[in-house]
Amino acid sequence: MTKKKDLNFAQAFAELEQITQWFDADDNLDLDEGLKKFERGLELASALKKKLGEVENKVEQIKGKFI
Amino acid sequence: MSDQPSCLSVRAFLDCVNETLRLIPSRDFVVEGEVSDFRVAQGKWVSFDLKDEQEEAVLKCFMTAWQLQGGLEDGMRVQVRGYPKVYERYGQFKMNVTEVTPVGEGALRRAYDLLKKKLQEEGLFDVARKRTPPRFPTRIGLITSRDAAAYGDFLRILHSRWSGVSVIHANVHVQGKEAVEEIVSALSVFSALPAVEQPDVIVLTRGGGGLEDLHAFNDERVARAVFSSCVPVVCAVGHERDESLCDFVADVRASTPTHAAECVVPNRQEILFEIASEEQHMERTLQEAIQRGLFVTQRAMQAMGLVMARKQDHLRRARENFVQRSQAWLPKWRERLEGQTRLLRQLDPTRVLSRGYSIVREGSQVLRDACGLEIGSSVRVQLAAGSFDADVTQVNGEGQISLL
Repeated sequence: MTKKKDLNFAQAFAELEQITQWFDADDNLDLDEGLKKFERGLELASALKKKLGEVENKVEQIKGKFI
Repeated sequence: MSDQPSCLSVRAFLDCVNETLRLIPSRDFVVEGEVSDFRVAQGKWVSFDLKDEQEEAVLKCFMTAWQLQGGLEDGMRVQVRGYPKVYERYGQFKMNVTEVTPVGEGALRRAYDLLKKKLQEEGLFDVARKRTPPRFPTRIGLITSRDAAAYGDFLRILHSRWSGVSVIHANVHVQGKEAVEEIVSALSVFSALPAVEQPDVIVLTRGGGGLEDLHAFNDERVARAVFSSCVPVVCAVGHERDESLCDFVADVRASTPTHAAECVVPNRQEILFEIASEEQHMERTLQEAIQRGLFVTQRAMQAMGLVMARKQDHLRRARENFVQRSQAWLPKWRERLEGQTRLLRQLDPTRVLSRGYSIVREGSQVLRDACGLEIGSSVRVQLAAGSFDADVTQVNGEGQISLL
C-alpha cells in the first residue's frame, strides 16, 4: 500500500477509521488480530501523513465557450 | 401620379405600416417605463403596459414567457428592448419585446424576490435534494474569473489547507453580459465530462458586489444549470451577507470564496491530528489488551506456582518419609547382608586351605576319590599359598566318601 504510488487518500483514511472502530468494537479483542490491524493502521497513518506532507495542488484550465 | 388614391386592403395597409415601423432603428433603443396590467396567458404569452409616470403615455407590450427571464410585476420600473408592430388581427399597436431589464435597486430587488419565490415553489431549493460533496475530493471544478480576487483567494486557502488536488478551472466572466452563458456552459461542460475526469465537486464563486454585479448568479438559467449539475456544487458569491439565487440552489452554500475553499477541502492540521488520535487510540486499546493478557498470564503463573509449590511440598514430605523409613529399614538389611557375607566367607575354600588342607585336581577335575587314579598319572595339588604338580606312585585302599 505504501509502495503504491497513487494512494487514494479517501480510501486509506476510511480504512484507518474502520480499523480504529474495530479496536473500539470488542472489549476482548483478539491480540493476534489486533497486532495485525495495528500494524496495518500504522502503515496507513504514515502513508497518509506522508501524502499530506509532500503533494501539491495542480491547476489546469478546461476549454469551453468561456473567455 | 394619378389623382385617384390607390386603394389598399386593411392588411396591405398594415403591412405597409409595419414595414415603415421596421425602419425605426429599434435595436439602438431601450424604452424605460413602469409596468402595469402584467398578465401571463396560458403560461405562454406575456403582456403588460409600459407607462410613463408623469406624462400619460402607454406602450402595450407583448412577449413569450420563455423570453422573460426573472420576475416581473406591476409597478416595476423596467427597460424593454424589442420592435413595434401593429397586430393585424386586433388592429393593435404593440411592442414586441425581446428583453426586459428591471431598472434600479428597487426593481431589481423585486424581480429577484419574484424569481426566488418561483424557484422555491418549483422545489429548486429543496434541502432533501442537496448532496454532500466527498470529504477528500481529488478533483475540484472551479468556475470563476481568473481576474477576480475570488480566484486567488480560493486557491490560496485551498493550498494552505490541503494538497494533492487537481483544480480544473473554467475561466468565465462573473459579471457582464457574457457571464450567464459562460457559467451555464461551464457547468454543462463539467457535467458532460467522462466519469474519471469529472470533478468530485464544483465551486462557483465570485466576490461581492451590488445586485447588478451579481446578476449572473441571480439569473434563472444559471440557477437551473446549478440545479441540474451532475456534480455537487458549492456556491460562494459575494461577502458574508450577500445572497444569490445560486446560493439557494447549490448543494452547499458558502459565504465567501475563502469559505468555499474551507468547505471543499479539510484542514491538513486537523486531519493530521485526527490521524494521530487514531494512532494513539489504536495503540492504547492494544496496550490495554496486552496488559489484560499479561495480567491473565501472571495470574495463571501464580496459580501454577501455587500448584507447583504444593507438589514440591508433597515431594519433600515423601522424601523425608522415605528417608525416615529407609533409615529404619536399611540397618536390618545391612545386618542380614553382613551375616550372609560372613557365611559366604566361611565357605570360602581358600580359608580351608589356610588351615592346612589342599585341593588335588587331575586336569580340571577336583579329586574326591583316590580309587579312580592311575599310577603314574599327574595331579596338581593346590595349597593355601601356591601349588605343585605330583605323580601318583601308589593308591592306598578304597575309602568311603561321606555325603553331606
